[in-house]
Amino acid sequence: MAGLRIEHLYKRYENNGKKKKNAVQNDYAVKDLNLVCEQGEFIALLGPSGCGKTTTLRMTAGLEDITKGDIYIGDTLVNNLHPKDRHIGLAFEDYAMYPPLTVYDNIAFNLKAKGVDKAEIDKRVQEIAPLMQCDDLLDKMPVKLSGGQKQRVNIARAIIRRPELLLMDEPLSHLDGKARQAMRTEIKRLINDIKCTTVYVTHDQLEAMSLADKIAIINFGVLQQFGTPAEVYDDPVNEFVASFIGEPPMNILETTIAGEGDHFFFTFKDSNLKIAVPERYYKVVSSGFKCKMGVRPMDVLIGGADSMGTPEEVATFENLGDERRIGIHVGEALLMLITDDEARYKSGDIIKLEVRGEKTHLFDIETGDRIRE
Amino acid sequence: MESKKRLGRVVQNLLLVIYTIFALFPLLWMLILTIKPDAQMYTTTFVFSPTLDNYKAVIFQSDYLKYMLDSLIVAGGAVIVSVVAGVPAAYALARYNFKKKEDIAFQILSFKFAPEILVVLPLFMLFQKLGIYDSYFGLIWVYQLICMPLLIWVVRGYFEDISVEIEHAAQVDGYTWYQIFFKMLVPLIKPGLVSAALLAFIFAWNSFTFPLILAGTNVQPITVAITKFLGTDSAHYGQLAVAATVSALPAIIFALCIQKHLVRGLSFGAVKG
Repeated sequence: MAGLRIEHLYKRYENNGKKKKNAVQNDYAVKDLNLVCEQGEFIALLGPSGCGKTTTLRMTAGLEDITKGDIYIGDTLVNNLHPKDRHIGLAFEDYAMYPPLTVYDNIAFNLKAKGVDKAEIDKRVQEIAPLMQCDDLLDKMPVKLSGGQKQRVNIARAIIRRPELLLMDEPLSHLDGKARQAMRTEIKRLINDIKCTTVYVTHDQLEAMSLADKIAIINFGVLQQFGTPAEVYDDPVNEFVASFIGEPPMNILETTIAGEGDHFFFTFKDSNLKIAVPERYYKVVSSGFKCKMGVRPMDVLIGGADSMGTPEEVATFENLGDERRIGIHVGEALLMLITDDEARYKSGDIIKLEVRGEKTHLFDIETGDRIRE
Repeated sequence: MESKKRLGRVVQNLLLVIYTIFALFPLLWMLILTIKPDAQMYTTTFVFSPTLDNYKAVIFQSDYLKYMLDSLIVAGGAVIVSVVAGVPAAYALARYNFKKKEDIAFQILSFKFAPEILVVLPLFMLFQKLGIYDSYFGLIWVYQLICMPLLIWVVRGYFEDISVEIEHAAQVDGYTWYQIFFKMLVPLIKPGLVSAALLAFIFAWNSFTFPLILAGTNVQPITVAITKFLGTDSAHYGQLAVAATVSALPAIIFALCIQKHLVRGLSFGAVKG
């Protein structure tokens, strides 16, 4: 087992395919990425499609050239090592099983290619198969398997070589809802069992939050924030991270600060909603100051009859069974709130809105960076 | 209702049988000609005294076997060259992105567009100048016009159907590029490769215009040689029929040998999945 260290990593794809003579160079797909994954840690690379997370993983695996920068696995610089010499296991998004081989041979393939002797291979397959619950699939051909089963075999194949570093490329993205959850739990259990340093690529924040020790959030090839799930949830560094983590996402509204006496309030265009600015921000705000305010749907509450909250009209109401989501128009934007109280609302109902001012975050209107107190 | 259905099936089969006879009749007629004596050649009744003289004359008293061998060499050689050069080309067209990729692919396909008769005269001049007129090399080379486009386009489709992740998985598993190519990819494209190679072989075997103009003395494929049985003063239709019948055999034998792959190959490529 080894750690992973990525230093000032850049990747630019050359655009060969284009016909234009003076084609502009592509932007960097990965830009100045720095990441340290300690031995035994499970980190998730999280970001929207095309943000460079898979590219980073593929460079780590050696399937993609590095434009600039260094990748170390353990203490070894692996930039120019062949994938097979990097001691990695890689679970592919599309499973990438060898169609003419049985499940057994698929799992055993790597050991066979290395020339491990037969008895040892058999022992290791019999050891891994129950772990991934594919012991009764061993004689089958890959085409006969369901998506979930294929992914199990795919992961079994990645871990049988006892990798120093386990890489997973969106392993759950092709599974349907139920299989996905089951598989997620299984991966969690597996990683607890084998305690292998793991890098896990996903675009699903739920997977990242539930599995990872640390999450690296990437957008447009740039690392936005690297921290534990609690850190990225409670203390996002910018608007992107705030809106990417959490389901439903954080409400982010443009606001103008209004001062009344000693106090400041968030006010919104075309809305009479007024939220008290927590005192910790008093140093950075002033009357007329424009910024964006973020608040999680959980931190918007419905007040009781004697509430001091602003009366607002319900615009949308979704009953999801164990929680209810209510949308309220604030100017042109929609403010979502989640409540687990049993009351049913319909659009047009008036509720009193209370916002936990102390849980609000401020973001710069231009850059989206967090404004800290 | 039941009987109506059965009647329908009978009629259906009857029509198919009639069509089969209709379609195969020329072949049957050719087979009959091979065992007819010259004197009865033009009778249209099925009454004649069968003889093997035609076979004897063609196989033992002419250079027929030499022509067969020539055909085998040029058609077989052409297919081998096509496979050796075409499979890597197909792989490159399927996997890599390079300038004018689609143009090149289309250019290769377009070799099949021009009628042979149109290009054969310039080729003749060229062959004379290069000194490859009437040689095995020359014919194998020019047959690439027939074999290569077919092979490249069929095999390219097969390569495109194989997930690139399989190659990456094999790389991570420790295979070198040639091991990946020969041990992983070639088995996966085998059905397509085999069927394309067989079709290419048949086309090359049947080619007439190219060998007629570009060869003729040293190298004489069977298609050209058959015309020898038509003299200016006499036409030995019986011998002609024998020559044609026997020359169809190699392709049929090859097809039978690889039938298993062929059927799978032709249907496998059609449906992506």
